[in-house]
Amino acid sequence: MTVTTLNTDTISPAAVTAIGERFREPTWLRQAREAAWETFTATPWPTYTEETWRRTRLTGFDLADFTLATEPVPAVSSRRQLPRKMSANLRKMDSGGALVFQDASLIYAELDPELAVRGVIFTDLRTALVEHEELVRTYLGAQVLAADNKFAALHYALWQNGTFLYVPRHVTVEKPFQVLIQLSPGKAAFHHSLIIAEENSELTIAEDYLGAARGMSDTVVELYPLAAARLHYLHLQNLDTTAWNFATMRSSVYRDALYRHLQASWGSRLSKVWIDLNLEEPGSHGELLGLYFPQGRQHIDHHTNQNHKRPRGTSDLLFKGALDDASRSVYQGIIRVWPHAQKTDAYQKNDNLLLSEQARADSIPGLEIQADDVRCTHGATSAKVQDEYVFYLMARGLSRKTAKRMIVSGFFEEVLNRVPVPGVRHKLEAEIARRVGLE
Amino acid sequence: MTAVLEVKDLHVSVGDNEILKGVSLTVRQGEVHALMGPNGSGKSTMAYAIAGHPHYQVTSGDILFNGQSILDLEPDERAKLGIFLAFQYPVAIPGVSFANFLRAAVSSVRGYKDRARAEVAQGGKREIGSELMPMREFRKELLAKMDRFNVDRSFAQRYLNDGFSGGEKKRGEVLQMAMLEPKIAILDESDSGLDIDALRVVADGINKLVADGMGALLITHYQRILNYVKPDKVSIFYKGRVVLTGGPELAHVLEEKGYGWVEKELAVEPA
Repeated sequence: MTVTTLNTDTISPAAVTAIGERFREPTWLRQAREAAWETFTATPWPTYTEETWRRTRLTGFDLADFTLATEPVPAVSSRRQLPRKMSANLRKMDSGGALVFQDASLIYAELDPELAVRGVIFTDLRTALVEHEELVRTYLGAQVLAADNKFAALHYALWQNGTFLYVPRHVTVEKPFQVLIQLSPGKAAFHHSLIIAEENSELTIAEDYLGAARGMSDTVVELYPLAAARLHYLHLQNLDTTAWNFATMRSSVYRDALYRHLQASWGSRLSKVWIDLNLEEPGSHGELLGLYFPQGRQHIDHHTNQNHKRPRGTSDLLFKGALDDASRSVYQGIIRVWPHAQKTDAYQKNDNLLLSEQARADSIPGLEIQADDVRCTHGATSAKVQDEYVFYLMARGLSRKTAKRMIVSGFFEEVLNRVPVPGVRHKLEAEIARRVGLE
Repeated sequence: MTAVLEVKDLHVSVGDNEILKGVSLTVRQGEVHALMGPNGSGKSTMAYAIAGHPHYQVTSGDILFNGQSILDLEPDERAKLGIFLAFQYPVAIPGVSFANFLRAAVSSVRGYKDRARAEVAQGGKREIGSELMPMREFRKELLAKMDRFNVDRSFAQRYLNDGFSGGEKKRGEVLQMAMLEPKIAILDESDSGLDIDALRVVADGINKLVADGMGALLITHYQRILNYVKPDKVSIFYKGRVVLTGGPELAHVLEEKGYGWVEKELAVEPA
């Protein structure tokens, strides 16, 4: 890999060219970057007159406030050489492989050698591009397009690195893969994840986003569970509460395959997250789980799309959020059933628990059904922590704080007990406990 | 020392509406005091006021526990003194298992939490779980009490009152009471809505705990539970006041003559 630095750190057309040059990228990729930049400049900034942005405003957001990562960060060869916080974080999970990124640099990688022998590729996108260019070219940008939204366009113009995971046919990987993405203060980061589960394979991957104080993260995640594959993706967003966060994530689920997504949106001052589930072929299944717990003045916005294109697909969505202080959440979700997608079974639910008078949760579930033999259910609730609940627990000797904590933990339990990885579940529980003021 | 709960000339309002208009009564450890009255007479209000529900404003009078006023205490502090309220309508708390909840409650009431905090305050090391009763010990006691009080062991892992039938909820209240070992329990219509089997289980639980030394204020609308739990005292509650107190025979008189008799014979002002 080249070690020259980027000759500009501002978000500009010069940076788009510089990234292609620095990494000696193939022409197809440089062209894609240039085209994405064109799309970015041609796309107006979102305004609140658009339905998608009506409840989320970018007041105070300015690209000129952020710089690009220009210097490569040297890699280390063992966990012990990592900053203690990172190695401690890695230890929370028993994994089959781990990647640690500092901004756009992969600083540590490990992979169970047995998995490598079985054909599993788990590395950074930069390395994959050199060693497996055809694979990357097939899947990169095939799912999330630059034209999807202004932030996706910016992402495709400026991404420097990301996660690449490929599991071949019939290979089942039991242990999860884990990725830590540590972002420096004030930077604009564009991590790209490309995850491919070939026919009848199985994999679980957890990505943990950290840092980015006063910075921005603009992520794209593309997921491919091919026929009869089982792909479990866990996205843990633990960014600093001063970070701006944008993410577009999409999975295409093929014949008889299963996709499971867990979204934990803890950090950021503002998050705008799109999660799309495309059930491309008959008999495919998807499950989308979400957790959020904004505090202070945090603003967390999720868009989900359960797109049933073919018959006999099932999808099940459950997003739960607790809101404290003057925080806000927006949930907009749609179930789309295409004309031939008979025997679709789709479920969508968003529950919010308000812990303060100033908190506000907007929930806009939706259905768009063009087939007649389907079952679709959706709903949303928003409730305060009821005094009667608190009183009941206090009358048993629990302090007010413990009583509230117990009610909030109980509220999230419905999602937590569906989290497939114990290590991740413990992390989520710890974060919830921290937010309810126990730790 | 025998614990005593005294309610003295208690006036309680909800908003502008005065519901208790000067209630006085006493409950001692080891005795059963039945409080009978028609619906809407303010029985539940009194139960909530004793437990410290914030919506019920005490405008005058006092509630004393062993001679000390408890009016300024939070509900959890009253629970730690040894006051227990068995709810008429226990709320369901999804996602919180009965066992986890009860372990936290028992640990708090028995002082595990306060002791652990005091040790840390004196420079001791904070150990994970030190605020809770040790798991093995708790489990052993819980299972023994489930058996003793005829509560199915499956309760432990179920979410607190979530999806419980009326009878299961009341059994759950008895089990909580047995674990928390209060000195004085207020049982708010613990007999309502129960079939005869569930009623027997609940009554049997109360009797066992009273035999162990608990005092009970048994609030009821009907005389039925008094066939199973023998009261030492019976008070008749009417329109926000105790209008008559007597021995167990008073329950039978009331059963025979009905609440209309109270209004006529005791010359209580009609509403």
